[in-house]
Amino acid sequence: MILPYLVRLLCLCFASFFVLNALAALLVRVASKRAIRFAESRTPAAAARLLLALRLLPFALAILFVAGLCVPSYLWLEPGATSEEVGLLCVSLGVLGAVVWLTAIGRAAHSLFASFRHNRLCRLAGQETHVPGESSSVVLVENEAPLLALSGVFSPRLLISRSVLRSLSSDEFDAALRHERAHRTSRDNAKRLLILLTPDILPFVRLHPLLESNWAKFTEWAADDHATAGDAGRAVSLAAALVHVARMGSGPRLPSLSTSLLACDRDLSARVNRLLHAVPYRRVIPRPAVRLLRATGFLLAAGLGAVLLAPYALSSVHELLEILLH
Amino acid sequence: MIRFFKNRIARGASQSQALALGTLELELMEILWDGGEGSVRDVVPRLSRPLAYTTVMTTLDRLFKKGLLDRRKSDRAFLYSPSFSRQEWERRRAGNLVAGFLAGPNPSRELLLSCLLDAVGEHDVTLLDDLERKIRTRRRELLRQGQP
Repeated sequence: MILPYLVRLLCLCFASFFVLNALAALLVRVASKRAIRFAESRTPAAAARLLLALRLLPFALAILFVAGLCVPSYLWLEPGATSEEVGLLCVSLGVLGAVVWLTAIGRAAHSLFASFRHNRLCRLAGQETHVPGESSSVVLVENEAPLLALSGVFSPRLLISRSVLRSLSSDEFDAALRHERAHRTSRDNAKRLLILLTPDILPFVRLHPLLESNWAKFTEWAADDHATAGDAGRAVSLAAALVHVARMGSGPRLPSLSTSLLACDRDLSARVNRLLHAVPYRRVIPRPAVRLLRATGFLLAAGLGAVLLAPYALSSVHELLEILLH
Repeated sequence: MIRFFKNRIARGASQSQALALGTLELELMEILWDGGEGSVRDVVPRLSRPLAYTTVMTTLDRLFKKGLLDRRKSDRAFLYSPSFSRQEWERRRAGNLVAGFLAGPNPSRELLLSCLLDAVGEHDVTLLDDLERKIRTRRRELLRQGQP
């Protein structure tokens, strides 16, 4: 197939992205169980950061390679304004790359739209008000179903149903609000959007459900820790709030870009037990394994930087691209 | 070739019937799940009661035809191995049971669903009661220690 200069560049970018993303994603998939085991030995906040970094790593590496090496090498070393024969394999990989990107963008846009629509409906159906312990306004929904959630990405709104407001004591309600504020501070909904935006290995093939579910679990635990801040009384209040809300039955279905007080019913028992036997909130001193991990990351980044800056790097990449192209 | 197709057809024929196992069949499956691949000669000494070589061979062949075992030829004997894990077999069996109920008349369908919902509801209530009890105990402990 003969393609013009810029279309060829696009095809190469998508094909390189697809191959690198797939390879890196498979490696991450292989390492994910070990990484989760390691994450369990860390504080929930550190564990959540680690798993999120691992989840986004294939995407970041592929983007870095394409933007840092493929595009510059093509623009500098490929003779301009020429049409050239492109192999079927390269075209197929390019199409697959474009499809996984479109799927990811479509998925993220759909979730954003659903989140906007849900927030708007809640505002229309409920009323914006102030509740004790919360500085910004919340949306109070006249609903018997239990709802206490932070919804939205750019300006997340706290949605509370009147039944929750009525049934929780002031201590419990305060602890629950602190939990949701922790989600807002750590921008967990924005991180969810970022996960949705990272293309899959193949369209609609989710390779990291384990990593994602564990990340979600650790974000909840981290928000619990942030909300209680080592205060045993507050931890008991939060645990009581969780059980009270769970007793009220299943909550309404929320859009994917939202965090609810009871995000995962299966985790309830573990969360309550954690809160009741909470260890004091403390700064964890990095252990040798963590130091080693950080040093490896630094060395990798330095090595990648050196490769990117080396004069022969671009010509080598260009040769690789030529092989892929034909 | 004809035998191959006959086996294939037999294997796909009645999945639910295939998953129902007799005592000896179940014992053989347990041995192969625990020990992995094995021939008739490997399996016979591990049985709980002495049985003839040919009886075991026929039963293993029947399990192969039911699709529960895979086999490959090694020298002059067949080596049998389970087609799926114990958990997978149990999952399929439960699936078949539920599918059987759901395919039945309305009353049995509703009966099954209400039994399932009751079981889940009871489990939830018990779990929540248990958690609440723990919270009360912890509150008392904190009060004793002088914390609110």
